[in-house]
Amino acid sequence: MAETGRLRQTATAPLIGPVALVRTAIVLALLALWEFLAHSGWLYRDVVPSLLSIARALARLLSQPDYYYNLGVTAGEIGMALLIGGGAGLLVGLVLGGNRFLSKAFEPYLYYLGPTPKIIFLPIAIMWFGVEAPSKIALGTFSCFFPVALNVAAGMRQIDRVLIRVGQSFRASTLQMVVKIYLPAMRHPIINGVRLGFGFALIGVLLAETRLSNKGVGFVIMQADSTFDMPSMYAMLIVLFVLAIGANALIGRLGGIDTIKRS
Amino acid sequence: MSQAASRTSIAASAPRATGLMTLLVALLLTELLIQAGLINRFIVPPPSEVAKAFYRIVAQEHVFRRFLSTAAECFAAGVMLTLAGVSAGLLMQRFTLLQRAVETWVASIAAAPLVIMYPLFLVIFGRNALTIIMMGFISGLPPAILKTIEGISATRKVLINVGRSFNLTATQQFWKILFPAALPTIFVGVRLGLVFALINVVGTEFLISYGGLGALIADLAERYDLAGTYAAICFVILVSVLFFLALEKIERWLRPVD
Amino acid sequence: MNASGDAILVADRIAVRFDTAEGPITAVDDVSFKVRPGEFLSLIGPSGCGKSTLFNVIGGLLSQHDGIVSVAGETISGPHKSIGMVFQEESTFPWRNVTDNVAFPLELVGMPRDKRIERARRFISLVGLDGFENRYPGELSGGMRQRVALARTLASEPKILLMDEPFAALDEQTRLLLGDKVLQIQQQLKQTTLLITHNITEAVQMSDRILVMTYRPGRVKRIVDIDLPRPRSSAVVTSEAFGRYVAEIWNDLREEASRGMRDEESQVLHHHGSAP
Repeated sequence: MAETGRLRQTATAPLIGPVALVRTAIVLALLALWEFLAHSGWLYRDVVPSLLSIARALARLLSQPDYYYNLGVTAGEIGMALLIGGGAGLLVGLVLGGNRFLSKAFEPYLYYLGPTPKIIFLPIAIMWFGVEAPSKIALGTFSCFFPVALNVAAGMRQIDRVLIRVGQSFRASTLQMVVKIYLPAMRHPIINGVRLGFGFALIGVLLAETRLSNKGVGFVIMQADSTFDMPSMYAMLIVLFVLAIGANALIGRLGGIDTIKRS
Repeated sequence: MSQAASRTSIAASAPRATGLMTLLVALLLTELLIQAGLINRFIVPPPSEVAKAFYRIVAQEHVFRRFLSTAAECFAAGVMLTLAGVSAGLLMQRFTLLQRAVETWVASIAAAPLVIMYPLFLVIFGRNALTIIMMGFISGLPPAILKTIEGISATRKVLINVGRSFNLTATQQFWKILFPAALPTIFVGVRLGLVFALINVVGTEFLISYGGLGALIADLAERYDLAGTYAAICFVILVSVLFFLALEKIERWLRPVD
Repeated sequence: MNASGDAILVADRIAVRFDTAEGPITAVDDVSFKVRPGEFLSLIGPSGCGKSTLFNVIGGLLSQHDGIVSVAGETISGPHKSIGMVFQEESTFPWRNVTDNVAFPLELVGMPRDKRIERARRFISLVGLDGFENRYPGELSGGMRQRVALARTLASEPKILLMDEPFAALDEQTRLLLGDKVLQIQQQLKQTTLLITHNITEAVQMSDRILVMTYRPGRVKRIVDIDLPRPRSSAVVTSEAFGRYVAEIWNDLREEASRGMRDEESQVLHHHGSAP
């Protein structure tokens, strides 16, 4: 309030920026609303648990070695899914992006099959791969294949043509063209594809875990659900979301993109 | 001239035909391998049986009613995300401070696996259509908001200056220049939101075994009706493809010259 | 700096035809010329005269043509190791710094790293970019990026330097100064250079000979010997002889350029006037 008169003074920057203030205000307001709902008795017990109980559940969760084991299981499944699905997507994307004919023949199938919910393929995955890790990885692989392939194919087509001619004018071999020109020129679409692929693989694996198996993050969430341990469920969701968003940002940062907005 | 034109149209349809032919050949091959016993028919049903199952599920499983169910849920989620998303986006674009504070949060939500909250929603909303609609709504919300902001912010400066040169008020400026200019991008955001909504609606139906087409797949799978499950999955793919095509048509109609 | 001796590059009856939606068009028709070692030869013509097509033919990037291009007696069939190309568009690799850009052709032939860097540094210095070795193209101006592209091609030490309007995207003053730089380098290295351009001043400033092309189908309309004394610099643009050469060439070009404009206008009318 004392600042209103000092329009001309630009010497000292505010200690806490206005953006940080607004964010803090919003967070505090939401937390207050939450706590109010928790104690209001309008909703069934524990559907909105008190912040304290969630905090306690969080502390408990993070001190249980079991939870880290489950995190590891899920992470491993996602990693495998990304490796297989992402690798296949990269290859298919390179082929389709580099050949007009093949692209027009087959890319529409990828384009329209891409945005369908892959979880509906779970029964097929179970039939083909059983009820353990392989079918979870299969679902994750299937989920992340499409965004990677489509992004890589599009990326190939967007490469500045002159860069390819430079390579040709210096008589680069095919391998040299791919490694020294195509791949570096496509680093943004590839990273975006991997980011999307990670997100989809994550969803595919998690959802599969909620139905199958007795390990993994999805499983423990269902466990908390079946025992109506809501504070734990909220705690798990919080941890999961923080990790997922963090991983997404990390991939982007590694690829040199500093905003999550591009997708 | 017409010779050249007919040559180019054959050249244009050749790739599509190749793609289609490859698909048919693959199906044929699968059929033969299964009949020859080289592929286990209890894991992969012969395409001929899947085709027959199509008729069966349409006749016996009230497919049309289920389709309407799913469509209604999508519609509800779509309306909600359009209204909420575009309004929120407009608000955020208007108040820069709000935008700078909250935009990355919205983008982060888009990166989170929201659908894993379905058990939570089940508890909060019950095993009914509301859970499904809410799931569709929150997954489709972020792109609608983000694209709305982007659309209005990206209006070319020169168009804004045209408005100022005519002394338009802020409201006139908004409705006559900013909003129409942003409309194509806003529609892209709504389309993305609808796509995510559809995916999550069907996905949630499958997961909670309630509702329309997604639940159909879950039911058939539970009954070990192999051919039926495959047929239902194909059916869902068909529906989503038609849905996306329709959305693309509408989008092209909205921006004819681009 | 007089060029002498047998031709190092021979273009013999080059013709290029394309099939377009409107029917076949002849971009280049029966173009022949020879380039002597150490010579600076410019090809000038209006837009649509097939200059860039010729550039791609000589550079070996366009193989569907009639006629033969030979370097030191050897017919080319693809990009030739004695020909180095500099493109009109931005062609530096944005993900490599200046040194790695310039060292690119040396990397391709497997030159060891320290030798590569040393050779690259030499050419970076030659184009006047000392101190910028570790910068990325994104940090440089357009003119500097073109200099990097030039250094990159020169680093492969081609017998013939082939450039397609490398300064087209730059403003006039930068262009004149870069032209100075290129002249300097060419005179220093005695580099045989073939420059494709639409800029008369640039052509007269730098060349020993100028081939004037007609509008499509592109043919050689005239060959002009530029007898201005060497060494030259951008100061030469003010001399009287310079003015006369420019006027002479503009005379030839004006007719071709107007034909080009009329052609363009009739194309627009033809396409937009009819109903779908």
